[in-house]
Amino acid sequence: MAKKILVIEDDKFLRELISQKLLKEGYDIAEAMDGEKGVDAIKAENPDLILLDLILPGIDGFEVLSRIKSDPSMSGIPVIILSNLGQKDDIEKGLKMGAVDYLIKAHFTPNEIVEKIRSIMKE
Amino acid sequence: MIWDNKKKNNKIKPELWLYENDITIIRYLVDGLLVFNSENKLFLINPAAERFLEVEENEVLGRSVLELSSFEKFNPLVSMLGGGLEECFKKELVFSEEFILEVTSVHMRLEGERVSTLITLHDITREKLADRMKGEFVTLAAHQLRTPTSGIKWSLQALLDESLGKLNSKQKEIVQEAYKTNDKVIYLINDLLNVAEIEEGRYLKKLSLSNIEDLIESAVGDYREDVRKKNIKIKLIKPADSLPKIMIDVERLTLAVKNIIGNSIKYTLGGGSITISLFNHDKYIEVRIEDTGVGIPLSQQNKLFSKFFRASNVTKLDTEGTGLGLYIAKNIIEAHDGRIWFESEENRGTIFYFTIPVRKQYGEFLTEEFY
Repeated sequence: MAKKILVIEDDKFLRELISQKLLKEGYDIAEAMDGEKGVDAIKAENPDLILLDLILPGIDGFEVLSRIKSDPSMSGIPVIILSNLGQKDDIEKGLKMGAVDYLIKAHFTPNEIVEKIRSIMKE
Repeated sequence: MIWDNKKKNNKIKPELWLYENDITIIRYLVDGLLVFNSENKLFLINPAAERFLEVEENEVLGRSVLELSSFEKFNPLVSMLGGGLEECFKKELVFSEEFILEVTSVHMRLEGERVSTLITLHDITREKLADRMKGEFVTLAAHQLRTPTSGIKWSLQALLDESLGKLNSKQKEIVQEAYKTNDKVIYLINDLLNVAEIEEGRYLKKLSLSNIEDLIESAVGDYREDVRKKNIKIKLIKPADSLPKIMIDVERLTLAVKNIIGNSIKYTLGGGSITISLFNHDKYIEVRIEDTGVGIPLSQQNKLFSKFFRASNVTKLDTEGTGLGLYIAKNIIEAHDGRIWFESEENRGTIFYFTIPVRKQYGEFLTEEFY
């Protein structure tokens, strides 16, 4: 069965670009456009991996991450932060909170993001 | 001049040379004005200064610097200038976000002897507010540009992958150009965010006792690919004894070093070489970055560290520079209490020097003014 990836990203264009790329690579995709819907989607979809943006309407990505990590039913799902924030502080904070990797959108292409996903899911 | 006539008459005390007319002008001045006599006692205060410092003329006139420091608003001014009322030029005195003065202190001399001290207080609260708003605007705009530039990067990459259909060679070339141009915008946005942070004065964030050799080695390592592609030799010469650790913001200083080395690589032609050497001068560490590059035209050397400046001989060589790299580097190094300078000859090469002091506390940079 295809692995499912949840994309939590508020920008429609970026969300579609990465989702299409992942679909093409053979993944199942679930999408959420803000933090609140993201948390709901994790429970409903039970994804194998989460791509998480940090600046989101409503509750932000850090908050989503902390909710994921404090709930045993979700805490095992690997989370890759996909953000515009490139400050060392933000990266360290994200990793310390339990994200497996931190990718800055402007520095990574969808191809490289797929590579990261592959290596994390050890395919 | 009235003053000159009076000067001839030695019997008259210097304080009395101020005429009624001058006093009237001074009273109406929008800037605050304080005059201390040779014994550092307050001799004159105008209404603007009374308002700024929240004092009344009759309670402060004739008082010594020490006595004045017991007045709440006077105290920070005295702290800034010291008991001897040192000279200073346009120094910022921050009382709060809503009240910032620019202080200038001048010693007035007669035949070499200090007869009084003139202090002007200029309210710059509005300017600082405008500056801050400008900085916030740049930060916000730059952040807002990041999402669309990522989107453009990703979609151009999708075209280049040819997963959506094959491109002919001409189409591919154009898309590749667009991809490169977009990357340039991404770097520019990063630079603008750095500049906005510098200008807001919140620049050193995380100081730690670190090893500068490691920092430089890792900065050089990041350029390994560029150096190989351009066929440039890069050499790092370390002193025989290991260097002392220094208090630095590793992320920021790495950026400064990378900007300097990056320039050397960009503006050194293939076959050239870059030598980076480190020196221990006990009180400070000196880093020297020497290249055999195109150099900086003499007539433009004085502008090298200005914002958005690019030398005329490199704009053709590399169209991608933003003119912000060395401005950022200089600000970072100076925030560490270091110095940066260079020597250059066109078509021969450039040597950049910078220093960082050893074992120093940097509290003052995190708390604005330090006395």
